[in-house]
Amino acid sequence: MTDRKPVYLMTPALAWLTAFMVVPCLLILALAFFRRGIYGGIVYEFTLSNIALVFDPLYARIFLKSAGIAGLAATIAVVIGYAAAYAIASMPRKRQPILLFFAVLPFWSNYLVRTYAWIVLLNREGLIVSLARAVGFDGDLPQMLYTETAVVIGLVYNYLPFVILACYAPLSRLNPEIHEASRDLGASEWTTFRRVTLPMTVPGIATGFVFVFVLSIGNFVTPALLGGGQFQMIGNLIYDQFLTANDWPFGAALSMFLIAIMMGLLTLQTFASEKASGQQRAEVSDD
Amino acid sequence: MTNRSSLRFMLLILSATFAFLYIPISVLFALSFNASGLPTAWTGFSTHWYGELIANSDIIGAALNTLIVAIVSTLAATLLGTLLAIGVEIRRRKGRVLETVIFAPMIIPDIVLAIALLSFFSMLDFRMGLHTIIISHTVFNLAFVCAVVRARLKSFDWSIVEASTDLGATPPITLRRVILPVLTPAVVAGALLAFTLSIDEFIIAYFTAGSGRDSITLPMQIFSMIRFGVTPEINALAVLVMTLSVVALAISQRLNRGRLPGQ
Amino acid sequence: MTSTLLSLANIEKRFGELRAVNGVSLDIRENEFFALLGASGSGKTTLLRMLAGFDMPSSGHILLDGHDISQVPPNHRPVNLMFQSYALFPHMTVAQNIAYGLEMEKLPRTEINERVDEMLSTIQLTHLAERKPEQLSGGQRQRVALGRALVKRPRLLLLDEPLGALDKKLRGEMQLELKHIQNTFGITFIVVTHDQEEALVMADRIAILKDGELLQCGSPHEIYEYPVNRFAADFIGVMNFLPARVDSGALRAVNGSRIAAPLPADLKPGDNALAAVRPERLRLGVADADNCLNGRISAMAYHGLDLHLHLETPVSPHPVMVRLTADAAEGHPFSVGEEVSVGWSARDTRVFTA
Repeated sequence: MTDRKPVYLMTPALAWLTAFMVVPCLLILALAFFRRGIYGGIVYEFTLSNIALVFDPLYARIFLKSAGIAGLAATIAVVIGYAAAYAIASMPRKRQPILLFFAVLPFWSNYLVRTYAWIVLLNREGLIVSLARAVGFDGDLPQMLYTETAVVIGLVYNYLPFVILACYAPLSRLNPEIHEASRDLGASEWTTFRRVTLPMTVPGIATGFVFVFVLSIGNFVTPALLGGGQFQMIGNLIYDQFLTANDWPFGAALSMFLIAIMMGLLTLQTFASEKASGQQRAEVSDD
Repeated sequence: MTNRSSLRFMLLILSATFAFLYIPISVLFALSFNASGLPTAWTGFSTHWYGELIANSDIIGAALNTLIVAIVSTLAATLLGTLLAIGVEIRRRKGRVLETVIFAPMIIPDIVLAIALLSFFSMLDFRMGLHTIIISHTVFNLAFVCAVVRARLKSFDWSIVEASTDLGATPPITLRRVILPVLTPAVVAGALLAFTLSIDEFIIAYFTAGSGRDSITLPMQIFSMIRFGVTPEINALAVLVMTLSVVALAISQRLNRGRLPGQ
Repeated sequence: MTSTLLSLANIEKRFGELRAVNGVSLDIRENEFFALLGASGSGKTTLLRMLAGFDMPSSGHILLDGHDISQVPPNHRPVNLMFQSYALFPHMTVAQNIAYGLEMEKLPRTEINERVDEMLSTIQLTHLAERKPEQLSGGQRQRVALGRALVKRPRLLLLDEPLGALDKKLRGEMQLELKHIQNTFGITFIVVTHDQEEALVMADRIAILKDGELLQCGSPHEIYEYPVNRFAADFIGVMNFLPARVDSGALRAVNGSRIAAPLPADLKPGDNALAAVRPERLRLGVADADNCLNGRISAMAYHGLDLHLHLETPVSPHPVMVRLTADAAEGHPFSVGEEVSVGWSARDTRVFTA
């Protein structure tokens, strides 16, 4: 194959990505440094005020709040997801693909529908309340829908399958003899998990965490539906700047921060996996 | 690794996880056949709400729009993404910038890509509608097709390309008779994945649809139904949409995993 | 039989700073079974890829039947390659794989079918014609790869590590079968291999490559018995090297004892040299031997047909290997630590510049 051929194979797709992703994203980057017109719209005049506004306590608080919710959702999802992946990996080899398939299947159904299912469950006239009434509970039930808890549940529910997938990958690649070697050398089951299995599967955990965190912090569907507009997350804030407040430059600045957070986390995650795979390579060369 | 008590514990974890994953979906499924349509009481089996659905012209219109968007953007993305994947994997040198550009559409938060495209189209005074949704969906769809095809190419024995040349074939013949047929299952799997993503995609469609009622897609319709007054027919709609994407995905998985020659 | 088919004239291939092939010149005769032998990194695969047309030489010429083909693309050369991985098309049946190259020549369908059928029966796979490659065993795949290349009736067939993927027993059978097929078709074969035994068994002539350069080219017998230098000697088979010095027309080992051997003309008194002798040339006892050596057995290995002794001797820092046939070892209950004397003749000794 000559070296010219790949270029013309790639050209149409790269042109598409350039026109409809790279350029629009650069546009947003530029937009963040322009001034907002008095009646909305954009005044082409350089300013740092949009960037400064992101650090305004009012908005910084929303950022922190979003990060808090995203972090909580990611942590819970990783704990459940890792446990589930570990359980799948300890089942007989032949059963694992089908278990994994069913663990991931919900991920491919519509996001809105999955979120809506929780409205049905958590609703004031919803299934959980009805069940409580049916077993004879008459007291006051706390508000479940339109709370932070509901948002966190929704995020965990939606992204859990991906975490299972991400954690299963390194777990299934573990050589069972390494586990046995650790037991043979006198380590308990728990010590083996803590000192051998867990460190070797850090990349999967990191991938799962970063994925849930990034998707959650920029999410606006779940807060809008399960949070009921009770509080704002960055996603909703950006949405508002573009569709209601009509302050595009500020919305652009918020997006840039979102991207910055995401890239920072992805770099950390790459670092974590490289470190862990380095360890694995060292283990291979030792034997 | 699996003595009796730890095996029982693992089974417990699995059951709890699957219950968490499937109970909400199952509830929707059951509700869609509940005559009253309300979660409070089971009043008998009925397909009444599915009938309502078919009679609702808004929903049928939105469903048609979704199909148009999904089919056209999937076709475009499959063509562009497959060629891209082949081009990238043939190259011996991998560029970091290139990798980032190809990877980006899959990880950029939807909301960011959505507003970027909205700004882009409106600044160019591009009239928005179904066509802008199609253009936008093609962006991430082609990245996913490319990823699936590249995964197949990683295990692809490139020496068959040289073998084809050695036996007298020109590069276009080799592409048509050797590379593409071997890649077909992966290409179809990628296309089905793209199709699934496209029929489910909400945020980007919402921002790039313009203001006309005639470019509303099914997820947009579902969103407004959920937000502004839940009607029981949404349960039936939810079940249909869910089934459609799961079926497409199941086929895609099967094609990608089942009997791939040379793997 | 003696006319030259392929001429390599001063072929050089550079990848950046690296000289993968450095000034190789070779003539390969019509109907010859030729082996390119070398370790990985010796440049043998690069050389093969240049013959097939996948790489172009940086300088030098490849002449096939007197025509320079160095710049001809692979799909226009009357040269075919059997790939190391076999590179069978996974989506085509055995018959379709074999027909592919003929279809590229745009032959009429009837002729293609005839030649495919003929080839299928030659490689004894007629009954598996409709199978896909993944349903075949390793040996069957190898035959399909061979048939697919042969059916084009190339002037020259290149085989890249043809037996590398087969298990040991099958390899022995296939070595003979390859020779047989080569004979039947009368096509020149060039085999690239790192396996010296394979080269010795199959090839009419062998070229040894090292670090991109041609070390020696000759018949298996010449290569084995008359290596041109210590690298060639070390590469093929097992060789005992005894460090020595040239001392007024005679060769002396490190302990001063004389080594009887034909001295190459270029060695002058005072030069360091290496005396080399094959383990199977050493005999028990020193009666009427030109050279003798006393040593202590440091290890023994029984191989059925023969017995290997490792001797610690005053003449070499490395143990000297002795290979005794079962007959010669008969009646000697050797044990580790025992002192033995071995001898060998002057004409079995080779002397190299150190």
